[in-house]
Order: sequence, then C-alpha cells, then structure tokens
Amino acid sequence: MADLFANYEHGKFYDEMFAAPGKARPHYRRLYERFSLMESMAELMDRQRTADQTFINRGVTFTVYSDNAGTEKIFPFDLLPRIIPSHEWAHLERGLIQRMQALNLFLADIYGPQRIITEGIVPLEMVETSKNFRKELVGCKIARDLYVHINGSDMIRDESGVYSVLEDNLRTPSGVSYVLENRQVMKRVFPNMLRDYRVRPVENYTNDLLNLLIHLAPAHVPEPIVVLLTPGVFNSAYFEHSFLARQMGIEIVEGGDLVVENDKVYMRRTDGLAPVHVIYRRIDDDFLDPTVFRKDSLLGVPGLFEAYRKGNVALCNPIGTGVADDKAMYYYVPKMIKFYLGQDPILPNVETYLSGNDGELDYILANLPKLVVKSVNEAGGYGMLVGPHSTQTQIEEFRAKIIAHPRNFIAQPTIGLSRCPSVIEGGTIEGRHIDFRPYILNGETIKIMPGGLTRVALRKGSLVVNSSQGGGSKDTWVLNDDITNPPVPVPEKIIV
Amino acid sequence: MLSRVANLVYWMARYLERAENTARIVDVNAQLVLDLQSRQAADDPKSWEPLVYVTGDEEKFFELYGKTVTERAVIEFMLFDKRNPSSLISCIAFARENARCIRDQLSSEVWETLNTFYLKLKSDDFSRYAQLGSADYLSRVKTQIQLLFGVAESMIPRTDLWWFFQLGRHLERADNTSRILDVKYYMLLPDLHAVGSALDMVQWASVLRSCSAFEAFRRSRRGQLNLERVVDYLVRDDVFPRSILFSVSEGEQALAHITAGADHLEETEPARLLRSLRAELEMIDVPSVIADGLHEFLDDIQIKLSDIHAAIQATFVDYDTASAKVLA
Repeated sequence: MADLFANYEHGKFYDEMFAAPGKARPHYRRLYERFSLMESMAELMDRQRTADQTFINRGVTFTVYSDNAGTEKIFPFDLLPRIIPSHEWAHLERGLIQRMQALNLFLADIYGPQRIITEGIVPLEMVETSKNFRKELVGCKIARDLYVHINGSDMIRDESGVYSVLEDNLRTPSGVSYVLENRQVMKRVFPNMLRDYRVRPVENYTNDLLNLLIHLAPAHVPEPIVVLLTPGVFNSAYFEHSFLARQMGIEIVEGGDLVVENDKVYMRRTDGLAPVHVIYRRIDDDFLDPTVFRKDSLLGVPGLFEAYRKGNVALCNPIGTGVADDKAMYYYVPKMIKFYLGQDPILPNVETYLSGNDGELDYILANLPKLVVKSVNEAGGYGMLVGPHSTQTQIEEFRAKIIAHPRNFIAQPTIGLSRCPSVIEGGTIEGRHIDFRPYILNGETIKIMPGGLTRVALRKGSLVVNSSQGGGSKDTWVLNDDITNPPVPVPEKIIV
Repeated sequence: MLSRVANLVYWMARYLERAENTARIVDVNAQLVLDLQSRQAADDPKSWEPLVYVTGDEEKFFELYGKTVTERAVIEFMLFDKRNPSSLISCIAFARENARCIRDQLSSEVWETLNTFYLKLKSDDFSRYAQLGSADYLSRVKTQIQLLFGVAESMIPRTDLWWFFQLGRHLERADNTSRILDVKYYMLLPDLHAVGSALDMVQWASVLRSCSAFEAFRRSRRGQLNLERVVDYLVRDDVFPRSILFSVSEGEQALAHITAGADHLEETEPARLLRSLRAELEMIDVPSVIADGLHEFLDDIQIKLSDIHAAIQATFVDYDTASAKVLA
C-alpha cells in the first residue's frame, strides 16, 4: 500500500480536500481512506484510463474545428471528485435561487416599466449600449412571466473558501451533458464509494428541463411539441445538443427544418408541416431570425421573431436575456437583489470595477498588473488580460483598448481559485484550480440540479478552466447529509 | 420524420450503392480488358474509354486528364480523384458526411464502420491499386461496402429512416445496373460480328460476374450465354436482387412503407412513376428492345429513374411550404 497523497503539495490556496497538509476535511475523509487502500498509483492510473476509454466509447466528444477530418476529442475528465457537503450546498442553493429571482425580475422590468432605470439604480446608458439588449421586445408579454429559464452561473471559491459568483450565463449555457456523463462514468469506476457517500443524483435534470419546456407552451395547446434547435453538426457543442434531445425524446432540428406560416412555426417533415410550440434553442439571439436580427444568418428561421412576439411559440431561453449577463451588468446584480427583493445577496459577486465609471477607470489603469481585465462581450476565456501573468507589452495593449472603449471592459482582482487534488498525466496527484457551474431552471418553481460542472485547469498553475484552453472536468458530488464518522471503506472492483 | 434527415439518409444510401457499383464497373472493364487477349488491346485507349462515357462525366474527365484515355487516368478518375464527384472516394466521403449529420439516429456501429473505411480509403492511390491488382483491390472495396450494408441492415430500426435508406439504395442500384450493361454495349459496338463467338461468351460471363450474377444466372437460365438472355436476366429477372426490375420493385415497397398511415400520401407522384416503370419492365420484349437499340432503352430507363428521384425530392423534401399539408 502506498499513500498516494504523501507528496501532495498543499499550496497557499484553499484546498477542497485538505484543511492542512495530511489532514483531510471531514467530507473527504472517506475518499482519502479509500485511496489509501489502493495498491499503487498504477491502479489509479488504470482507473483513469478506464474512464477515458468509456468517454470515447460513449462518444462524449467535442469537435475540433480546425481539422477537416473532424477530429473529435474528449473533454478531459479527472477521477478525483469535487465534494460539496450538504450544508454548503444548502447555502449555494439559497443564494442561487435568490439570484435567479432577481435576474428574472430585472429582465421583466427592463423589457417592461424600467423602474430600475427611472429610480436611478442602473444607468439607462448601460442598458442601451448593451449589445444584447433587444429594444424590439420592450412591452412584449412573455409566456408565464418567465423572462429567463436557464442560468449556468460560474462560481469560484477564493483563498478563504468563500463562494462567489463570477458571472451569469443566461443565454445558452452549455456543459450539462458532461455533468450527466461524468456521473455515469463514476458509477462504473467507483460504484461503492458513490453509494457510501450518499451522493445526490443528477439524472433528473433532463426530466426537469423537459417539464420546464412543456410548461412554457402556449396555454391552449394540449400536447405541445418541443424541439431543440441546433446550429448543426459542425458546432462544437453538437454532442450536447443531440444528447439532450435524445434524453428528452424530442426532435433535434436545424434552422432549415423550421418554417413560419401565418406567424406559426412548423417543422418540415416528409409527411407535411408539423406544428412546433416550444423551441429549446442553442443558437444565439443574433442568428435566430434573419428578418429581424443578423441578415446574414443561415442558421435561423425567417419570421420566428414575429411568431414568438405573438405568443405562438415559446423560446428557451427567451430573446434578450443577454442584457443581464453582460459582464458590466453583472456589477449591478447585487443592487438588483436589493432593489427587487429587499434582501442582501446571499452569494457575493467578485469585487468588480467598471472602466465606464470615472473613479474606477483611474483605479483600473493604475493597477493593471494586479487585475484581471475582461472584455464585456467575449466568452470562453478570450479577450482577457490576466495582469500578474502578462508581459508589459500585453498590459500596455490592453491599456490602450480600455481608454478607447471604457464601456467594453471590467476589471476584477486576481483571485487564487480554490484547488482540488487531480490526477496528473505523469502519474502523480497535484492540486489544480477549479471553478463550478451549477444549472438553475426557472419554471413552475426554481430547481437547481444537485451538482454541476466542476471545471479544472489541468495546466500547472493555470487559472483558466475553459475547455478551449486546456481545461477538464470533475464529477461534483453533492452529499445528502454531512458525514463526520465514515465507516471503514471496502475495497471495490472496477465494473465496466 | 424530418425532411432533412430523410434526404440525408436517402443520399447516404445512394452514395454507398454508387460507390459499390463504381467498383463493379471498373472491375468488369478490367476483366474484359484482360480477356481481350492481345497485350496491345489492353493498352488501347479504346479499352478504357467506354467507362468514361458510361459514367456520364466525360466532360469532367477530358478537362482533368486531357484527350488520351489511359488505364491509369481512368482508375484515378473513377476511384481516387476527389475532383470527380462520382468517384469512389467522393461517394464514400459524401456518405460519411451525411452519416455524421444523423449519427445519433444511425447506430454507432454504422458510423464507425463507415468512418474507418473512409479513413483507410483516403490514403489509397493508383500505386496501391496496381500493387494489389485490380481484382484483389476492388474485391476488398466491395467487401467493405457490403459490410456497411450488412451492419446497417442489422442495426437500423425499421422506421422511415430505414425505408428512405432502402429507397435511395434501390433506385441507385437500378440506375447502376443499367450502366453496367451499357459498358458491354459500348464494347460491342465496333465489333458486332463477334456476337456469339467464344470471346463474346467470356465477356458476358464477366458482365454477370461484376453483378455477382453469374452463378445465379446459370441456375435460373439454362443453356447458352448470349446477349438476349443476359439482358433479360439483368433487366427484368424478378428474383435476382441486382436486376433493374427487382430494384424498382424494392424501391416501390420502401415507398409504400413510407406513405402507409398517411391518408394524404396515398397516391403520390413517385408511387405512380415507380408503378409505371415496373409495369413497363415487366412487359418488355427483349429481342425487340435489342433490335431498337439497347443503349437507347437503357438511357430511357435512366431518365425515368431520374424523374422518380425528382418526384421524391418534390414530394418529401423540397415541397412548397405554402401548399403543404399542415398536420394536426
């Protein structure tokens, strides 16, 4: 037997597993002991390979654009789970529900009376200059007053272990298929441990999502038809689109499959035009309807906007939610919570400076080497300056950009994300930085999948967890109850 | 099912069938050339020229390879040249692209078999073909494609997805069998006096073999191997799976599955056209067809098949939205 964690370097960050070197946190003790029963690191590496092969066999892949052979890669998966004890989860859940309520009220307000502007909380200019504000929708009534249905907030823990929200994703957050597949693989690789830990299941997600979609259908339709609209097979997230469609038993369609006649949406089938009532769209607003938004879009459906405005079809997420997940609008979310709910935020934002605010612009320009600067409209870790990891030239380039377009940037202090032990290719266990994306559904009630996507920056020292930049993922275990006295663990066999 | 998906699977089957028949057409010609006895004849441009015309792509060929028709040019054009949209590699590449778009609706085995075949074929070229010899190389290709059809047959559920696959496959096969017969017609033209000679027998045998029909023919049609009997067999035998009549009937049945259960699709244009072509094939008098010109007859069948194809597209895929049936 070998202590696989003997050489584990604790580091100055919040470590998810160890409270101090060699001292596992209570909810990790059982896993720690389980791992001490392994013969050697080689056994763990065998399980890692088993897991990787399972992903390839199940076709859990994303397509790499640059290669016309259509190379498909797996999103790297790390065997060591991230464990969230139930009291921590209860806190996250309360905070995320509160945030979802406030964001929904904000969107209803922005596309309605705009009280938050007239009362001087959010500047009018901030809304009007947002690329994702759809003025065409002001005054338009949305099905069941649900102005946003799915949020995938990105969360982090700082050096002291405090959870905060880094950004909201209110348009088409992706990654949930990996959460579901990760769990399937873990069930094969560590069945006993999952059971002993009483990990809460995530499998209800697709069922909850389907119920939400059906809930959105126009009221007069007894058996609504729901479809998933994808940009197509060449989209890097196509696996997820087809996975979710299969899990929910709904048709996966492309823009060309849908037509609008008399402001009603139909799909073109071999036997004629079949009505469509709800569209779970995985296409951005810009591409939805070339007659209203981008004229050059070949992905969308001419006339869809009008059908939507008339209430003949529901879209999930609705059009225009992007105004609330704009990185600059993020700054105002705690104020929204206060304004609409009269409460203090349960989950804080990361401290944020707006270069659009005079006083804060000066602070940003004076402290660039210490800050993370983000472009307001970019995602995927692009358009970003990580001050402490940048050269003087890169910093000066960003300085010029910020001065030219202050509205386009925000800045945040560099946060040492929490770390979690991870299996490293060479056969060691090392701490790697992680973040967390829970999935919040806003339908008849607000439901949060007990789990989520834990992304891990597998490159040593890296703080960027995006899959396009060397990130991987871990299974996230939300516990049913907090375990303080683990029973003696039993050795387990690999069942694959 | 979605029109787009139906179209993808229909074309996927057509491309696969076309790929197989391209291999067959090259195979029959390579065998015929070997049977021409004199070494000089094998190098004769006339030995390979018919293939270029039979595919209907002669303009493209002359544009890419010039006026001299060599064996190497024809093999490259028909098997390995991606600039020729009907080449073996193009057909397999198109079939793979289509399969990729509907991968989750096919079984993973179908996709994997096709993908593996494509990746291997991509690295082949004329020297690989020459090194293995035409017979060996082409039989490997045919086996691979038949493997694919076998996997598809045992894996795809019998929903409309399968019936559109069948429809595409059999329409393509009917067309291709007519083209294989046409190769022989071109070969015969300059040399009509050889009809009935020993050489002629050998040639008909090779045409039958390229359709894997030789033994089946021998069992069902006793006696002499001649033009009339071979044409009769390949055009309208009602049990041989590669005959034109059989393929048309299979297509008709696939279509019937597709339209079953939808009242408004009871009598469609494709069904009418398929029925009338089948009836025509059942009624023909082979000797007079040959007397009037086999090539013209085969040409006419190809045109009718292409009308059926157009009618399928217009009925199930590209129909006008404004006048389409709105389902409840």
